Amino acid sequence: MTRWLTEPVPRGRVAAFRTLVYLFVAADLVFFTPWIRTRVSVPGSLYEPLFVGRILPLPTPTPALVSMVFWLLLGVSLLAASGRLPRLLGWSVFLLYFEWMIIAMSYGKVDHDRFALLVALAVLPTAGRARHGDATRTEAGGWALRVTQIAVICTYFLAAWAKLRFGGLDWLTGSVLARAIIRRGTELADLIAAVPYLLIVAQIGIVAFELLSPVVLVLRERWRLAMVGFFYSFHAVTMATITISFAPHLVAMAAFLPLERVRPVHRLRRLVGADRRGPGTDDGASAPVAEQSLAVAGDDRGTAPSVRPG
Amino acid sequence: METLTTRGRALRLGATALGLALLLAGTVWGSDDHFPFGPFRMYATSNPPNEPAPDTRVEGVDSDGALVDLDQNATGIRRAEIEGQQSWYVAEPERLREVADAYADRHPDAPALAEVRIVIRWHGITDGRPTGTYHDETVVQWQAGTP
Repeated sequence: MTRWLTEPVPRGRVAAFRTLVYLFVAADLVFFTPWIRTRVSVPGSLYEPLFVGRILPLPTPTPALVSMVFWLLLGVSLLAASGRLPRLLGWSVFLLYFEWMIIAMSYGKVDHDRFALLVALAVLPTAGRARHGDATRTEAGGWALRVTQIAVICTYFLAAWAKLRFGGLDWLTGSVLARAIIRRGTELADLIAAVPYLLIVAQIGIVAFELLSPVVLVLRERWRLAMVGFFYSFHAVTMATITISFAPHLVAMAAFLPLERVRPVHRLRRLVGADRRGPGTDDGASAPVAEQSLAVAGDDRGTAPSVRPG
Repeated sequence: METLTTRGRALRLGATALGLALLLAGTVWGSDDHFPFGPFRMYATSNPPNEPAPDTRVEGVDSDGALVDLDQNATGIRRAEIEGQQSWYVAEPERLREVADAYADRHPDAPALAEVRIVIRWHGITDGRPTGTYHDETVVQWQAGTP
């Protein structure tokens, strides 16, 4: 069990996941949940702090506080995305983002799409230094990715539990999807809603998939990736029908993927390098071979700068 | 390979167990208040197959008599937040003044709001499918000049 929990992964995977997560935090601030910033103009009397906000001596958000957390978090998360000072910057991002979330969720509505992202932010600082492309395996990094995966699966499995707790078995045959479509459905959703009983079949399917989701943790890599692909496609359909993105959860779910193979900056650099060498270079054909030989030569260590997102 | 010390391993095992225990407790007994360990109750409430569905909106009438949509973009207050605190607005309609103030802050040049109201559009549902019919219900309103 402990061995599985700390199964080593390449440092490059930790580095890529770290960059992805911290870049998302910055993007979340600016693009995904810009309404949190509008707290500046929401009256302080609407603030009803959560349990955690009541036990910790956190101030009622003022325009100054919201602005300060916003800009500080934006700066620190971008720095952290570079992979530098993983502990200092990592813990700073975690604490600031947590406060940001308390501000966001203390006005009468709590979102449920970011538990796994919060877990990722809490454990990434413990993974230590990790460089992009480094194939050395690390148990500390393995644990960080594993518990993020567990948090992703808990979000599914315990969501089914919550449906049984709050909705009961009637949830399966009720009208929850019809409601969601009325409130925020797209034209595609209206088409689906027109088919008799399809929404009820979908409700049963959702609970079945949520209850079965822990299986992904014990599958071999090929099937595991296929199942994670299914999870992503589920969210694509959710987005296309009832416009719920669950973006933070989707980012955390990348902890399942062999991210060390995705290296856009590295690729771009090699392409630019190839261009400089002249028109005779056939990138399409020679790239995989060149990539292999570079990897063997340990191109990624030594003089490579540490700022290499992706 | 970079391995963990016995202590590092034990600490991580303990942290994992503690986190799981908190999350499980939150799912079984907790509420949204226990964020981030509360239950994942998105769309968890059950609605009977023939129960009408509410679509809540906040709207206002400005001093020129024009209808103003007071959505999240207009006030910074999310619809789900209005719904979460709806009973509180119904009990104290003058609280809607805060919505008018939030709108005024964001639209300093717009005419002031003379009235703010929360309206629920009830959409008909039959056999778990929308019927396409609806009716509006004003659950609470506040008029400028009233206390």
